[in-house]
Amino acid sequence: MQQKELKQGMKEAIPIVLGYLPLGFAFGVLAKEAGMSVAQAVMMSVLCFTGAGQYIAIGIMQAGGAVVTIIMANILVNLRYLLFSTSTVPYLKDRVQPLVASLLSYGLTDETYAVAMNHYQDHPATASYLAGLNLTSHMGWIGSTLLGAVLGSFITNTERLGLGFALPAMYTCLLVLMINRRTDIWVAAFTAMTCLVIGYLFPAMMDNLSNLIIATVIGATLGVIINGQH
Amino acid sequence: MDNTSIWIMIIGVSIVSLAPRIFPVAFFSRYEFSAVVKEWLSFVAPAVLGGLTALSILAPQGKIDISIQNIYLWAFLPTIVVAVRFKNLFITLLVGIATMAFLYNFLGM
Repeated sequence: MQQKELKQGMKEAIPIVLGYLPLGFAFGVLAKEAGMSVAQAVMMSVLCFTGAGQYIAIGIMQAGGAVVTIIMANILVNLRYLLFSTSTVPYLKDRVQPLVASLLSYGLTDETYAVAMNHYQDHPATASYLAGLNLTSHMGWIGSTLLGAVLGSFITNTERLGLGFALPAMYTCLLVLMINRRTDIWVAAFTAMTCLVIGYLFPAMMDNLSNLIIATVIGATLGVIINGQH
Repeated sequence: MDNTSIWIMIIGVSIVSLAPRIFPVAFFSRYEFSAVVKEWLSFVAPAVLGGLTALSILAPQGKIDISIQNIYLWAFLPTIVVAVRFKNLFITLLVGIATMAFLYNFLGM
């Protein structure tokens, strides 16, 4: 364990934890309302760590849906991680032991992925950094779920604190940080547009983020094509 | 949903949400990607963030909302300026959250 790397990872997780706070809290509240115990709500955050997926589970539970439906929806929602995870391989390979890298990928989310990829642009990947980043973020998710499940009935409006904008602000900044090549701008803009157009034409795809997957595949392909012309 | 079903659901969701994160790293770490594949993968992050940013700002409640009533769109403006100027996650986050709180509490948006 390299302490400095671990601390760096933990430090970079702070904005993520801040963003998870209202989301995890809200999940805790909703899970209780949908009939889960505090232990079940917390264990779901420990074992699944999938924001969108957990919200969908609650939605289907409240609508009286089946376990199979929840799992099918979660397969779709989590499919994008196949892409994310694969794109971290060139950075982790030869630097982090495959077994350790696989285990730490448990903590891969939209947010930890974006922060780590940004970090890898000018720092080599290390197991300690990844552990600090992913485990701290996961702790934030679990802790806020616990708070929501326990205190849910007391605190109602987190909108007042502006925390609803924590994740959008984080995505905005990470997007800016991720744009290093001219082509990146085109890829990001094109993917954003495609994502919205697909979502507009097929609103159901917004629920499981399959519009994001399709748009990303098209956008990354466009990037390779543009680069190939130079 | 009864107690047992909830536990089965949690374990099922756990498996299908962890598998796509863990398997690619576990499996592909043994292979060397070709140059084109590596290049393609290098565009995944900017693409995903472009998409996520657009969705979080223009479809904050899960439905596309491109209108002046969309409070997220207003909060986005100072946020993107600060992000470009400072390139600092924490400062950007603070400005974004503070702008949102201001719009919500004082402008009644």
